[in-house]
Amino acid sequence: MSFSMIIYFNLLILLIGIFGMIYSRDIISAIVSLQLVVISGLMNFLVFSHFLYRYSLWDRMFIIPGVTVIYLVMFCLIYYLYLNKDKLDRQELYRDFRLFKITKSDWWGEDII
Amino acid sequence: MSFLIQLSEKVNPFQSLIILAAVFFVLSFFVLSRSRAVKNFLVALVSVSLIVAFYLNIYCYISMGSFSSFLIFMGDLQVIEIGIVIFSALNLLYFIYIYHADNENFSKILIIFLFSIISAIFLILSKNFLLIFTSISVFILAIFQLVSVMNSGIDKISLNILEYFLRPVLTIVLFFLGFSLLYGVIDFKDFNQILQSEYITNPLIVLALVIFGAALYMYFFLFPFQGPYLRLIKRGSLSTGSLIWFLYFPVGFFTLMKPGELYIFFIEKDNLFLSIFLIAITYLCILAGSIGAFKTNNLRRIMSFMFLFFVGIYLLNISMYSTGIIDISSMVLFSFVNIFIMLLSFMSMSAIFFNVEKNTGIGSIDSIRGLGRNNRYMGINLVVIFLSWLGPLYYIEPFIKYIVKSGFPGMGVDNIILLIAMVAGCVFLLVNILRILISVFKKAEPGTYKKILFSWSLYAYVTFFSLVIIISLAMGLLGILNVDIAFLDFNISGT
Repeated sequence: MSFSMIIYFNLLILLIGIFGMIYSRDIISAIVSLQLVVISGLMNFLVFSHFLYRYSLWDRMFIIPGVTVIYLVMFCLIYYLYLNKDKLDRQELYRDFRLFKITKSDWWGEDII
Repeated sequence: MSFLIQLSEKVNPFQSLIILAAVFFVLSFFVLSRSRAVKNFLVALVSVSLIVAFYLNIYCYISMGSFSSFLIFMGDLQVIEIGIVIFSALNLLYFIYIYHADNENFSKILIIFLFSIISAIFLILSKNFLLIFTSISVFILAIFQLVSVMNSGIDKISLNILEYFLRPVLTIVLFFLGFSLLYGVIDFKDFNQILQSEYITNPLIVLALVIFGAALYMYFFLFPFQGPYLRLIKRGSLSTGSLIWFLYFPVGFFTLMKPGELYIFFIEKDNLFLSIFLIAITYLCILAGSIGAFKTNNLRRIMSFMFLFFVGIYLLNISMYSTGIIDISSMVLFSFVNIFIMLLSFMSMSAIFFNVEKNTGIGSIDSIRGLGRNNRYMGINLVVIFLSWLGPLYYIEPFIKYIVKSGFPGMGVDNIILLIAMVAGCVFLLVNILRILISVFKKAEPGTYKKILFSWSLYAYVTFFSLVIIISLAMGLLGILNVDIAFLDFNISGT
């Protein structure tokens, strides 16, 4: 595969990830969309390293701790989700969750629970 | 003695971190303890370690000067930032002790708290991309754990915690993407290398900076994405708000300053789109923050909105720099003054309001009705605290200077728009202050007022902040009047 082909494919993954974050209606889809953005960043590192720098050390130095930390944070979120919520709550969460939900109470008046 | 000095030189500038890490290690032995005496001992230990870390941070910098290596950099700004973080940590410790001393997870809270402070200091010191990225990720992870432990006893809060922390996770992910793009330009390792290189205007760098901007936008929950922040503060435990205001947000400001010089480079190139974007965000934060605070009756929501309002004032400062009203030194000074005002006022105000909510069980503005009449001392302190909110008035001076220099018609549309933003912000701020003060000094309806108990520590705490505010105000006034204070070379205008 050529460099430009990989970059276009990478851009497609990034756009799918961003679209997923905006459009998804449950938390797991939102987290999967975030993973797509991570994969896009990861591919950038690997592609640039392969085509531009002929395998420099810096990309691996960044990727290994970077990805470890990202997945650690995501793992904590998912673990917390399953640890705290019973089945009924989880169903509710899966049904009505938006990462960028904007409601009237965020701007004006009281926040009704 | 010489051995100690040599040791100190070797570990420079990590002395404060070493002290905190040592206490972190000691605390891990008491993680299962539920005894009150042990809890008190641990709080005393953490307080002393924070005070020593604060002292060492300044002392080592004065005695050994700035420090730079492949991974970290310590200069004037870093010393001030670490000082602010440790000062905030001391105050947070007070809040944690008041609201969580009876919590069976108290020792764990202290350990995670100390860990978050250590990661915040690492973040401030970091210069290399890798260290910046890992330390901000670990810091967000620590804050997430701290918030979840603090709210472990509250029903139905986990959804709010999750929706809140998905945004900082998005910040981390976008940072990762941004760093990957920077890697595509040339083998850069820190922001300073980019600034000194010929590739600074490369489209990939511009795109990476846009992504960093978007990441920080998410981090600060700026309008219109403020929902999860407002909900978590309203529904979470009382100390959650303190943690977010006094640790999460200040560290965000310091992260914003990391690529700051790159943004400044593009601002100085008279980038119209950047100026328009900054002005639009400033307007949105100032107007939506103040109107939102006015339209709600919940005290925690009022404070949350007002905090976003002050973030808007912080952005106003950058917008003023982008349109040429103030120079870079004034912008840096105003940025720190803003953070200082936010922390001072919110620390003391939240201490009073949270205590009222704890006593009455009501979070509405009605709970403070009659507070100023029944407890005049606290009423006066609240007036003093709100006086500090008049700090943004110091923006008037640069505007006046600019008008005198170029005349009102020669100001330009962008500067006139900013002037309107500043005037509107001051008016809305006054309205919100008056609304709270009227409620505080209004006569309580007969039979509705419940005696609110304030502990001696709270009196001491609030008095300390009021004194600091009065002294700062006096110094500011003397600075404006150009009166020489003799012992301190201070001028509030930063000129």
